[in-house]
Amino acid sequence: MAISLLNPKAEVARAAQALAVNISAAKGIQDVMKSNLGPKGTVKMLVSGAGDIKITKDGNVLLHEMQIQHPTASLIARASTAQDDMTGDGTTSTVLVIGELLKQADNYISEGLHPRVLAEGFDKAREKTLEILEKVKIPVEVNRESLLDVCRTSLRTKVHQNVADLLAEVCVDSVLQIKKDDKPVDLHMVEIMEMQHKTETNTKLVKGLVLDHGSRHPDMPKSLKNCYILTCNVSMEYEKSEVNSGFFYKTSEEREKMVLAEREFIEQRVKKVVELKKKLCNGTDKSFVVINQKGIDPMSLDLLAKEGIIALRRAKRRNMERLALACGGIALNSFEDIQESHLGYAGHVYEHVLGENKYTFVEDCKNPSSVTILIKGPNKHTLVQIKDAIRDGLRAINNTISDGAVVPGAGAFEITANKELNVFKDTVKGKARLGIAAYAEALLVIPKVLATNSGFDAQDSIVKLQEECRLNPEPVGIDLTSGEPINPKDAGIFDNYIVKKQIINSCSVIASNLILVDEIMRAGMSSLKG
Amino acid sequence: MNFNNCGDILTIQFGHYANCVGTHWWNIQEKSFNYSKNEVQDINHDVLYREGVNEKGQVTFTPRLLLVDLKGSLGALPENSQLYGDVIEPSEAQVEWEPARVDIKEENKLQKNKFQQDLEDEGNSQSVAEYNLENDVKVWSDFLYARFHPRTLNIIKEYQHGNDSLFSIYPMGGDLWKSEQFNEDFVDKIRNYVEESDFLQGFQVLLDSTDGFSGLSTSCIEHLRDEYGKNIIAFPMIPSFYPDYKFQTEEERHQSLIKDSSRVLNLAFCFNNLRENSSLFVPLCTGKNGWRQPGEKRKFYHCEYDPELYYHSGAILASALDTLTLKYRLKHTSYTLRDLSVDLTPQSRIAAAASLCLPFSLNSDAELIDCLDHWEGPLTQTITPNCTLGTDRMIQLYTLRGISEDRLKRPSSKAGTQKDLPAYKCETIREMLEFYLSCTTFTSINNVTVVDSRLNVETPFPKIFDKFVGQKGNIFASPRQPYADVDSVPVMAGLHNGSGVGEMLESLHTQAKRIKFARFHQFKNAGVEMDDYSECLDNLFDFRECYEDNYFI
Ligand SMILES: Nc1ncnc2c1ncn2[C@@H]1O[C@H](COP(=O)(O)OP(=O)(O)O)[C@@H](O)[C@H]1O
Ligand SMILES: [Mg+2]
Repeated sequence: MAISLLNPKAEVARAAQALAVNISAAKGIQDVMKSNLGPKGTVKMLVSGAGDIKITKDGNVLLHEMQIQHPTASLIARASTAQDDMTGDGTTSTVLVIGELLKQADNYISEGLHPRVLAEGFDKAREKTLEILEKVKIPVEVNRESLLDVCRTSLRTKVHQNVADLLAEVCVDSVLQIKKDDKPVDLHMVEIMEMQHKTETNTKLVKGLVLDHGSRHPDMPKSLKNCYILTCNVSMEYEKSEVNSGFFYKTSEEREKMVLAEREFIEQRVKKVVELKKKLCNGTDKSFVVINQKGIDPMSLDLLAKEGIIALRRAKRRNMERLALACGGIALNSFEDIQESHLGYAGHVYEHVLGENKYTFVEDCKNPSSVTILIKGPNKHTLVQIKDAIRDGLRAINNTISDGAVVPGAGAFEITANKELNVFKDTVKGKARLGIAAYAEALLVIPKVLATNSGFDAQDSIVKLQEECRLNPEPVGIDLTSGEPINPKDAGIFDNYIVKKQIINSCSVIASNLILVDEIMRAGMSSLKG
Repeated sequence: MNFNNCGDILTIQFGHYANCVGTHWWNIQEKSFNYSKNEVQDINHDVLYREGVNEKGQVTFTPRLLLVDLKGSLGALPENSQLYGDVIEPSEAQVEWEPARVDIKEENKLQKNKFQQDLEDEGNSQSVAEYNLENDVKVWSDFLYARFHPRTLNIIKEYQHGNDSLFSIYPMGGDLWKSEQFNEDFVDKIRNYVEESDFLQGFQVLLDSTDGFSGLSTSCIEHLRDEYGKNIIAFPMIPSFYPDYKFQTEEERHQSLIKDSSRVLNLAFCFNNLRENSSLFVPLCTGKNGWRQPGEKRKFYHCEYDPELYYHSGAILASALDTLTLKYRLKHTSYTLRDLSVDLTPQSRIAAAASLCLPFSLNSDAELIDCLDHWEGPLTQTITPNCTLGTDRMIQLYTLRGISEDRLKRPSSKAGTQKDLPAYKCETIREMLEFYLSCTTFTSINNVTVVDSRLNVETPFPKIFDKFVGQKGNIFASPRQPYADVDSVPVMAGLHNGSGVGEMLESLHTQAKRIKFARFHQFKNAGVEMDDYSECLDNLFDFRECYEDNYFI
């Protein structure tokens, strides 16, 4: 999808023209993104010339799928990427608000207002809006209900409501499972595992780990109960040493001897594990599983298989950490003094085969602090769509925990901010107030577009909301099924505080840059290089 | 269980030129799979290929390969493997969303060229068709015959493929490697391949060494070394031509000169890194100079190619690679990639040179003994830039393929003057070649491997052999029939280490030193300081010293 309305040689345009170009570019992008916003927005299915499919509703992803040549567009794209990196949400809103700020600016500048004055107003408005945000935000306790509300709101803008509600539960439960105190969690400790499965679409939380590989020995058990888990980073694989390589310098007998000595060395290692297993498990109902980050060669696998041990090789580096958190025990770098206390525990370890892919489930762990979200779906692009949604859902939960607060959604914040900015405007002297007015107006783009996307008239809706807001001290948002005002608190529609904050900050900065054309030319050019 | 026998190799390709070479290489191999069963098969394809099962339960045999390229570089080839999973027609129903609110945006479908179309409807016998691949090939997938595993393709979304691609300098590659989006996925795919394998010989890395891929690939090699040990052979490649040489304005000419300089810088940083992290690296280029500009093309007898076409020059390098690497992928030896890198790199001489003779020209009515007796100059032509192979104190590993033992010499009853040659006592091709080398080199170590299979050069291999090359690669005095295409040729290739390699490094050092680094803001903006540059130069200089002759082998 190419945006062709942009003139790539903008740097030669004179300032006034350049401003016009910036504005039209921002409008152009806004037009493409508008329809995405909110739970009634459209999802775009992008099909490349070669037939590859990408499903997205995310403003940032869309911007990057488009071929952006123009500095303006690339500046906006960077703002939305920054928004995504920092908060994981609010990218479409960012693009819309920047676009709207420029539209408003256009009106004032064409009436002769100097862009500098306008930018000054934007900045004043930004500061004020941040104050308003502090007033509007709602402190929350970290509990299942409050987290579910935010996560559900976010996910319902990304996938079907029924899927969203399921995913929200999975996300919240996984975070609650691994959370310590009321701190945000390390999201790396929630593994997301995809399985492409022709007939099944499902997502579930596994309170343990799912590894994307299985044992490589035909005689190893496919399932074990009551398992000791040995996590290690120790080679159990014979490798030719440097001195034993090449053919120029050694006779074949010399080489044979060295091979034997080297093999012997590995065998001793494996025997250490086997001995421990025998000591702990033989004669009990316990069993033994080895998960190694390094390699295990067929001869070593053979020794382990004979003892009924499941052994996995080449586990992901990060899974070493996850395993320790899920099962207990510690990841060993040597078997020197290997003992029971080093081992973890899982109630059930079993293998699942799907085509040429194997998966190993490490489940029934005691109070795991690392878990896995398992997604099954019929094809790659559906899996990606769900995976993206889960990532965002997890971020929303983490944001809520670190913010300790949420913001009423459905346009409520923007309506309130608009009202208060207009009051504030009258206290400001000089033309900068016009910038504040423009800013206040621009924020309304969010409720307007939410309304339009649900099939309601933007103006009618805004008027209703503003009236209600004047009378009602509670937040007032838009009900997308009726077009009438609602209290988002009652409907459980909440956005992340940090998301709104970031939008407020970045939009006014970027919009100011864009109207101060000289600066943008430089900023735009250097952004092209990056 | 015998651990010395075979063992798998993972191949990784970085960049568009490396992928052109790689494409030819996989094509060459897969074309040779079709040979009839009674034909001798001395190559162990399991070394570079893996067996798998697709969703339909069909057995697949695909390259154990990861490749990386930029967005837009695939042409009409879908990113999703069609070998696994069906072609999916886009429809609203596949989206987890209310169908009425799904907006399908389809780009114009890209047309496949005739060769690709014929491959697609396999019913069409391809042999009759005439293709114009010289014209039709825009990107490597246009002449791709092999089919890939879903893991293989990795496309970088951040940078667009094309003449003025912004992925142009070394540090960009390193940054990209570190980005979570690229790294997590790619590192996992490497691990998936390694995990599958019972015994891994090591890694072959084909890389573009003059653009951002120089940094990406070397970061990857660092990772391989840290994670899996040190058996890594790298083939840094220099394209035979750059599109910016077709400048039209003075400004474009100027830009092209600047690009030449930053390509030299990329090469210097790249080689410096390979020196530290690979087990062996062999720079490859079909041009003589390589560094600032590829330079004049290397010539081969009976072979006419156009260096402006990657489709052509890539085929030359692929022929060399397919032949050179035979050493560690034969059925009846236990010689591994590690052995090769140990044998070839005494005294930390990690860099080595390669050479090629394509086709190995043996007259249809002659024997090898006469052929060698009349041979003038070196047996093979170097394909490492700025490198002259000497005859003194060399370590050389040669591979000759496609000359059968019955072409060695005439039986004594009919031998005539052949009998007077001292080489007549040699009983095998290998013996005779080793004898020949011992007579033409001094205080050198020479090793020869002889393989039966010729190099397959059927379409999509380009038609680069002249009319005196016969269908099976013999040289005839009169032109072959116009309808009889060459289907295979004998080839000789060599790997060399010696003082000439040191001179190659020195020439790169000299070029890189001449550049006013401070003027290249791009590097500085990407975090490469003057000190990094000086250190890199110093390292290259020290490295060159390992090759000085007073070190005795
Ligand atoms: N159920 C709902 N009813 C009304 N508005 C909603 C609802 N759910 C979310 N929203 C609003 O939709 C906007 C977010 O839409 P979204 O498509 O996620 O875009 P963004 O990329 O900006 O996050 C927020 O302003 C949020 O308050
Ligand atoms: Mg959102």
